[in-house]
Amino acid sequence: MAVEMRLPAVHKPISLAASQSNRDDKHLVVPGDVITSDTGFMRGHGTYMDEDRLTASVAGEVERVNKLICVRPLKTRYNGEVGDVVIGRITEVQQKRWKVETNSRLDSVLLLSSVNLPGGELRRRSAQDELAMRDYLQEGDLISAEVQSIFSDGALSLHTRSLKYGKLGQGVLVLVSPSIVKRQKTHFHNLPCGASIILGNNGYVWLYPTPGHQDEEAGGYYTSMEPVSLSDREVISRLRNCLLALAAHKVLLYDTSVLYCYEASLTHQIKDILKPEIIGRARCVTSRAQLACANMAVPATTNDYKKSAESYET
Amino acid sequence: MRDTPLSNCERLFLLKAIEEKKRLDGRQTYDYRNIKITFGTDYGCCSVELGKTRVFCQVSGELVPPKDSRPTEGIMFFNLELSPMASPAFEPNRQSELLVTLNRQLERCLRNSKCIDTESLCVVSGEKVWQIRVDVHVLNHDGNLMDAASIAAISALSHFRRPDVAIQGRDVTVFSPEERDPIPLSIYHMPICVSFAFFLQGSYLLVDPCEREERVKDGLLVIAMNKHREICSIQSSGGIMLLKDQVLRCSKIASVKVSEITELINKALENDRKIRKEGGKFGFAESMPKERITTLKRDEVPVEMTDVKETASDIVDRTETTAEVVPSAVLVGMGTAQIGEGIVNSWALEEDEEDEPQTEDRKTDEVMVISDINSLNLSSSLTHKSATYPRNSLCNVF
Repeated sequence: MAVEMRLPAVHKPISLAASQSNRDDKHLVVPGDVITSDTGFMRGHGTYMDEDRLTASVAGEVERVNKLICVRPLKTRYNGEVGDVVIGRITEVQQKRWKVETNSRLDSVLLLSSVNLPGGELRRRSAQDELAMRDYLQEGDLISAEVQSIFSDGALSLHTRSLKYGKLGQGVLVLVSPSIVKRQKTHFHNLPCGASIILGNNGYVWLYPTPGHQDEEAGGYYTSMEPVSLSDREVISRLRNCLLALAAHKVLLYDTSVLYCYEASLTHQIKDILKPEIIGRARCVTSRAQLACANMAVPATTNDYKKSAESYET
Repeated sequence: MRDTPLSNCERLFLLKAIEEKKRLDGRQTYDYRNIKITFGTDYGCCSVELGKTRVFCQVSGELVPPKDSRPTEGIMFFNLELSPMASPAFEPNRQSELLVTLNRQLERCLRNSKCIDTESLCVVSGEKVWQIRVDVHVLNHDGNLMDAASIAAISALSHFRRPDVAIQGRDVTVFSPEERDPIPLSIYHMPICVSFAFFLQGSYLLVDPCEREERVKDGLLVIAMNKHREICSIQSSGGIMLLKDQVLRCSKIASVKVSEITELINKALENDRKIRKEGGKFGFAESMPKERITTLKRDEVPVEMTDVKETASDIVDRTETTAEVVPSAVLVGMGTAQIGEGIVNSWALEEDEEDEPQTEDRKTDEVMVISDINSLNLSSSLTHKSATYPRNSLCNVF
């Protein structure tokens, strides 16, 4: 068995022209930094008053809206917004609700009335439904859901009232920081490389083999246990390593950035993608591709990817 | 902050591995992790590392009036704290079930077993007795906090020295450590807790579960024993049904483990005593190994390369070609190929060249040269690196 060894070495910082200019505009602070001594400002989240001086309590970027100053942290737990797509894991089965863990400060709530009953029926939930809750979703199951509303204490209320949401079957879960998942119109993508991806806003990304045929009545509870082919598994493993490589450099994740990284990584073996030097190279290629794309016109969907890729090659 | 729940596949993996008698870190079913006991500069200060679980204990004493019901006995006070440093699941000032269980078990193990002679802690009957306070802090939680806490507590108690007192009638004089040597506590025996984790409805058991194994366990059996094979306390939690012979088997295993651990504690105490007597350095700072990493870190240095091409081509023309030229790679096995034969080890020669200013390029060259020598017909893009050819080629082409 071949073993790889590496000696500790200095990592060369990757400097890209675009990021340099961005860095100068941003006002980055660390906890304890004085933002301003002017008392005319209202203090928002992430700040506190320390003897007449507005001081930051988290590490992040200062945002100013008229008279309100707040600090948006770089690394934080997921703060939900209504309409976000999240992926969560069931932690508890309670009366008429499930508690879902979604990488936020409080466990989110999935009410029994917010799920689709198998068979797609629309009726009032009875006591029998309540007793059979465990048959639908158990502790440890993964689900994809949408944020319906936010409780007063900050806990999210989820719903799976659509055929595209529901229990997740075979696939790979990748955990990244919530701040690097880009807000888009749709978070469910069927990538042309042969796998599908769900980019949860809470930092959970789900990779799964593209289902062959769509079941109408499945309603999100049918999980196919058919064995996944080796080629699909390789594609998913490569995508997972690409996601980790992009997350290591805090690149915004959306369908095209993941795809560019995938294409750039095809020259290397799957396990090599996680090496530090390859990560750096993949990041450069991805940023270059993104810039080339931005210059010509932002491709809204993956259908435009092919055209943009050709223009990038030339 | 809530701990991230264990995923289903991780849970299944752990249980399957346990069924096949395999553990995550490669231990056997009855193996303990590495135990490391270190004492601090103060008497009564002890830190125990059980694998990655780290527990710190401090014993202190002060003179107080005794309890009304027991005027001739000293007071023992035990306190265990779970600091948020140990695990993100621990919140400060939160009374969790785990905290209560650990505290109760520690008290039962040390107080009810009467391992410390409390009568000897009495100074003036009914008026002044010693209150010995044992504070255990969990610094890192990687499973099996109970065992680590009990080892730390009993080691710290054995290590502790209380100040000497002199009684003249009703007057009590407490001597400082400089005036008179402090006296150790009188400890009859050393009770140590051994934890057994049960899986799959009691069919499989593991000694000293790590944190992952603890998360998938069904039940826990903690036996506190001393090396004289006396059981000080038994506690079974988790609600699993244990058979009589299972409990007996566990107690047999526990007696073996306890005698090993007691020996370890005594050795550590003996070492510490010896070092203090000889006047050597003792304490936590001395017990930490000095970790040094040698790095091949070099800053980038600009290199003069104006006439490199001419010098390089001169040298290339002047040097002889090697006898063997292996043009292609030889496939040795799956994923392993061999190009050339390899050269004599030239690392020792590196020190001779230390005096000359080395550059980043040369460092990478010394790795490349080995393959370069066997394929001299490389593209011109690489010739600029052959500035070092003269020295290295003479060394390597024997």
